[in-house]
Amino acid sequence: MIKAENLTKQFERTVLSEENPAKKKKKSKKETFYAVDHVSFEVKDGEIVGLLGPNGAGKTTLLRMLGSLMGPTEGQVTITDKEGNVITDPVEQKRNIGYLSGNTKLYHRLSVREMLSTLAEIYGIEKAETEKRIREISEVLDMDAFLDNRIERLSTGQTQRASIARTLIHQPEIYIFDEPTLGLDILSADAIVSFMKTRKEAGKTVLYSTHYLEEAQFLCDRILMIEKGRIVCEGSPAEIMERTKTENLREAFHVIMKHEDRKEEAEANKSGEESEE
Amino acid sequence: MRTATVKALYKRELLDIFRDKKTVVMMVALPILLYPALIIAMVLIINAVTASQAEKEYTVYMDLDQEADTAIRGFAALDEKDEDALDYKLQFLSMDQVTEKLAENDTENEQAKDGEEEADPLKRALTDKVLNAYVTGNKENGYEIHYLSAKTDSNIAKNALKQAFDLYEEDLREETVKAAGLEVKAILEPIDVSLQDISSKEESVGSQIGSLLPFFIITSVLMGALYPSIDVTAGEKERGTLETLLTLPITNLEMLLSKFFAVATISCISAFLNIFSMGGAMLFLVSGAIASAEDLNVSLDYKVFLPGIGFTLIVMLFFAMLVTAVCMCTCIFAKSFKEANNYATPVMLVFMFGGYATLLPNLELTAKSAVLPIVNVALMIKSLFGFSADYGLFAMVLASNMAYSLLAILVLSRLYNSEAVLFSEGFTSVRLFAKRSEMKKGQMPGGGDVVIVMTSTILLMLYLGTFAVAKLGFYGVAVQQAMILLVPVLYAWYIKADAKKLFSLRMPHPLSWIGALLMVVGAFVLAMFLGAILAPLFPESAQNVNDLSEFLSTAGKIPTVLVIALMPAAGEELLFRGFFMGTLREKAKPVTVIALTAIFFAAYHMSLLRFFTVGVIGLSFTVAAYKSRSIFLSMLMHFCNNLTAVITSWYPDKTEKLLDLDPKVLESPLTLFALLSAALGAVVVGYLLVRPAEEKQAAEPVA
Repeated sequence: MIKAENLTKQFERTVLSEENPAKKKKKSKKETFYAVDHVSFEVKDGEIVGLLGPNGAGKTTLLRMLGSLMGPTEGQVTITDKEGNVITDPVEQKRNIGYLSGNTKLYHRLSVREMLSTLAEIYGIEKAETEKRIREISEVLDMDAFLDNRIERLSTGQTQRASIARTLIHQPEIYIFDEPTLGLDILSADAIVSFMKTRKEAGKTVLYSTHYLEEAQFLCDRILMIEKGRIVCEGSPAEIMERTKTENLREAFHVIMKHEDRKEEAEANKSGEESEE
Repeated sequence: MRTATVKALYKRELLDIFRDKKTVVMMVALPILLYPALIIAMVLIINAVTASQAEKEYTVYMDLDQEADTAIRGFAALDEKDEDALDYKLQFLSMDQVTEKLAENDTENEQAKDGEEEADPLKRALTDKVLNAYVTGNKENGYEIHYLSAKTDSNIAKNALKQAFDLYEEDLREETVKAAGLEVKAILEPIDVSLQDISSKEESVGSQIGSLLPFFIITSVLMGALYPSIDVTAGEKERGTLETLLTLPITNLEMLLSKFFAVATISCISAFLNIFSMGGAMLFLVSGAIASAEDLNVSLDYKVFLPGIGFTLIVMLFFAMLVTAVCMCTCIFAKSFKEANNYATPVMLVFMFGGYATLLPNLELTAKSAVLPIVNVALMIKSLFGFSADYGLFAMVLASNMAYSLLAILVLSRLYNSEAVLFSEGFTSVRLFAKRSEMKKGQMPGGGDVVIVMTSTILLMLYLGTFAVAKLGFYGVAVQQAMILLVPVLYAWYIKADAKKLFSLRMPHPLSWIGALLMVVGAFVLAMFLGAILAPLFPESAQNVNDLSEFLSTAGKIPTVLVIALMPAAGEELLFRGFFMGTLREKAKPVTVIALTAIFFAAYHMSLLRFFTVGVIGLSFTVAAYKSRSIFLSMLMHFCNNLTAVITSWYPDKTEKLLDLDPKVLESPLTLFALLSAALGAVVVGYLLVRPAEEKQAAEPVA
């Protein structure tokens, strides 16, 4: 089980403001903003949770913090393993997480076997055990034909399977996937989707972000909708559709995002009126 | 830190690097094939050109008196074996032949047009390459050799003719002496002076190797480290594998060290390959030269170089660590291979420049230069091959390289902990790296810009400045000061910085001028008091101050005021109270800005004693400039301070009574108290008088 408590990430960004309209000189200034704004939730064992939101909503930052790739400004991530041990150390947490995103590319100059062996060595897995696991993974993902080929020579589908193999070698309890089916052909995307289902069936925890709402509706036990770093809606696909009185998750998503826009507009008008007074 | 994890990552990095074609080409193909091939080809080409120059006949024309004409032709006709034979062959043309050849040229080129012909056919013959040189004149009025200095053949012909005239002059001298009935040898060569080089052949060869080898080693280590550094930092980001690495249960330190050791290994291997392949090529050429010159007694005892080679390899190992850390520190900021190459260019220039240290005059390995990065390695290798190595300094060089490496690794570990750097938010503290067309007008420099400007100014001063002072003496100081002024100004111009804001170019309040003068007088007295106390503790530094006074006395008064008082008041102020302080005041608290500016200004004077005295005076400049927001105040204070030093050097006796603190003064508590109180009072009153310069308000837009 993975749990986010009050998880927050602040970044600095440079914004241009009109300084002197007479001279038309622009001045840049730095301001801080919340990429993730005090988010709390948990994902239980054997559960698939989907993270939905528009671009820039904070999905990747949130997943990076959960995967310990990035430290939070505030709050913490805790992992509870099968034995009930609570893990808070980021390095130890990574032993329990299989993280996959569009940015986690493979070492092109190594073969799939070399890559998996190196990773196993880093995870501290014995040589004999490593060989056994590579055999098993290769069989499950049908990689025998290209196991000793350099990754730079693999097709997109084969590379995707090698990426999945990377997340499997240390047999983690938690899988975090950031838009794993983005840009893939139907067969490769289906392979990922069925892989996530097998993980759930094996009692593992799966948290993933996606823009494909139909896929999320069909796959996820629970949905977290995120906008401007905050969770704006949480529940099972059926619950969300019921709450928004819509027939599918796509329509529900539009309703929720429109509602958020209106809320923000109203807040802006209110603060404008207050400052005029 | 877990060594097993670092080892696993290190193995992965090495495997990855060795499978990169670019690295393999840079590491193996270049050193093993290209460099030796280039060296051998270059030497063979030079030999061929030299041989063809020796065989060629250079055309000359002579319009001389009969005696000289006969003599010069006589020397030119001598057999090669004759000791008076000329180094090059001459072919003498008559005027008819010259005219005929010129006419042939004109016909071929159809270029001779009316009115465009050269009035003097001999000059035209030179430019048309009909003649390589010509001589005119006679014994009474003297002889003139006409040639074109820009043409190699013409220079050779000139040298041959000069050689012939020298021999002719020698003959004439001997004849005159003989005619006077005197003994030629007793008059023309009354004494014999011969040069006896007591250094062994090994020492001579070692000295030459020591001058050239450091540059090759530094370049080789750098080239070996650069590509792998880019590959494991920016390359890893570009390929998207850095995020994969971050998903693994490893600490940033483990990741960093594995990369660092992998690059350092490659850098060392590359440097070894470079040196051995170049050494092999050299050996091939030397053995070829020995074989072709059988009469030469060339035999070297190569064993004597073994300790030097061994210690050089150790120095190289330590240096490779420094180079690796610096390269990685630079390249980590880049998002792509191409961007990293841009960042690496200034680093390469700095390192290669350091490699030339062995060619600078008067630069020896001392306790001071042993801690100068890059330069210390170059000078150490030079002294190892010159058989003059001091092993205490050797230890210092190793220790300083180790210290710098650790410092660079520390910086690197901080950078590897920075999410902004790892997740490619770019090197925002350096404006220089952006495209100039995309730079915003009126921006302020970042912290990285300050580091670049300060480092490049100090390095330029150390290398070019030292060279300029050695070559030009007093006027070399003017060159140094010009560099100090130009670097920040040009940099600010290039990044389109707001010069007025950055350099605090505001006219101060009238009262501030009086305040600044009071402050500098008070600070000057306090600094002198401090100097008198500290001088016995730093005798070497005190001696340097005296040497400076002697140095100043060699130039004229106006140049001295310009170079010693005015130029530093402008240049050093623009650098320290301008660029450095102007950038920092945007980012840090006033106390930090003032302290850092004063400390860096004091450290820049590179003397232990002056660190404290200049520190006090520099602090007063900084406070005045900070409070007034005007650099003109600190410029005035700096000018007054330096002018006082200049006047003191002119009239040491008169000023001694006025300025020099007699030790007796220090012993009299009352006088001392009064003096210190007055000085402190002047500083405080001056500070109170200084007020912020008024900002000119922009006109309000009319509604």
